[in-house]
Amino acid sequence: MAAPLPDDLRLYVRLAGARIREQMNYRLSFAVHTVIDAFLIVSDLAPVYLLSRYFGALEGWTFAELALLYGMVGLSWGLVETTLRGFQKFGPFLVDGELDRVLLRPRGVLLQMATAQIEARKVGRILQAGLVLGIAFVFLDLGPASVAWVALGVAGGILFFAGILLLGAASQFWTMGQTAELQNMLTYGGSAALLYPVSIYSTWFRRVLTYGIPLAFVNYFPALAALGRTAEAGWPPWIPALSPFACGAVLALGMLAFRRGLRRYESTGS
Amino acid sequence: MRAYLHFARCSFQRRAAYRLANWTGIAVNFFFFLIHAQVLVAFFGTRTLAAGWRPEDAVLYFAGSEALLMVLAGFPDWENNVGARIRSGQVASDLARPVDLFYRDLAERFGNAFYYLLARTTVLYAGALALYGIAPPLRPELLLLPLSLVLAIAVSGAIWYIAFSVSFWTENATGPVSAVIWVHTVLGGVVVPLDFYPDALRWVCDALPFRAALYTPVALLTGKLSGSALAFGLAHQAVWLALLVAGARVIEARGLRRLVVHGG
Repeated sequence: MAAPLPDDLRLYVRLAGARIREQMNYRLSFAVHTVIDAFLIVSDLAPVYLLSRYFGALEGWTFAELALLYGMVGLSWGLVETTLRGFQKFGPFLVDGELDRVLLRPRGVLLQMATAQIEARKVGRILQAGLVLGIAFVFLDLGPASVAWVALGVAGGILFFAGILLLGAASQFWTMGQTAELQNMLTYGGSAALLYPVSIYSTWFRRVLTYGIPLAFVNYFPALAALGRTAEAGWPPWIPALSPFACGAVLALGMLAFRRGLRRYESTGS
Repeated sequence: MRAYLHFARCSFQRRAAYRLANWTGIAVNFFFFLIHAQVLVAFFGTRTLAAGWRPEDAVLYFAGSEALLMVLAGFPDWENNVGARIRSGQVASDLARPVDLFYRDLAERFGNAFYYLLARTTVLYAGALALYGIAPPLRPELLLLPLSLVLAIAVSGAIWYIAFSVSFWTENATGPVSAVIWVHTVLGGVVVPLDFYPDALRWVCDALPFRAALYTPVALLTGKLSGSALAFGLAHQAVWLALLVAGARVIEARGLRRLVVHGG
């Protein structure tokens, strides 16, 4: 499990391409799913809109600014959910002994699991989150520097969510699939938490989201920088720049835990 | 009837076998409780009353909704449902039994619900209220809660049964089922209590069945339903249950007529 080599990357593209072509076989079903998925995510933003509409701004954050937060987390989580879904559905691989077959092949486990399940229809979600992000940019009249901050946050989010998926998958080596739901807490739950600025949460919860599980680095800090509000929120100006490091640490931890788990793996022996 | 009770008991036992899974589930529900409650309280800001709700009511509502989410099957059972049975061909042996497909499914939902009521709701609700130091809102209306819960469990069971019945016609029901999930999340009051919706959307929610599966029992538990609103809520649940059961029966009868089981 070395760092992905260019050769591995080529293989990833080929395997992913095969998965996507496989799903394209059912053209109508694919089109319907993509459209449904793109619309469905509206329901993530609908509560934000309805609450903003009833109460007005949330601690100084307007709906357009909340939409920026949503676009960032929606884009990074959407990209990870589409491309690394194999780790989200890892339980059955362990419990049914599928993993044996993966281990027999002369390729890295991470690479094979990453391509085990790719849901092309989730592309609809990615496009939709990107669209919301674009509209928020126009509404908030953000310049190129702000766009760079948002891109940094999205990149951090990708590292973060990939790390959480790996940690969640790794934990199942010890619990035989019973902790599958734990990663949902930090992926779906984490995205739900990040629909709003981290500053609205109570002190202990905010501390957990900043120093414990660095969710705040996925969209809150980069968004503060993009909106030019880092100082106003009481943070030093270099905090948003830490985003890739804080999130990268989660991914490193995830890879370490997965490798540990793999070492203690004993087949179910079917 | 004995056969159905047996299915309910088996379903209960299947859930009870995975203790650790229940605890991780509690952690997930609790995380969502913390988010939903804190967000709504933050929106209150300095207000002490909005739409007749106090900030404490927001905490109570989401303590109830997350504690009851699994009881009321806010999400469908992806592994064990009529769609999966059709795809695997298991439906053939189901049909050979003198047990009705729909009622057997419903019996299993009640078995699950009973398990979650004992193992999840109690822990979550007590934990959430203890964290915020809020006393449970004991009022005479709570005597109607069991009735509302039974209606809600049946309504949600019927909704998911109908959604998965799409598999009678197309092999994969994932798309339509996830559409129902999201509609239910928004119109059922999972993320925002319906009291904060604009009037037009409120009417839509009152007309459609989704609030019967979650909002009505949770708002009743929170003490936000009384008098005519409570009477409407319960009547809405009963009427929609009748309609959904009838609908499920019709769909099932039609589906079975065109069902072809492959393989041997």
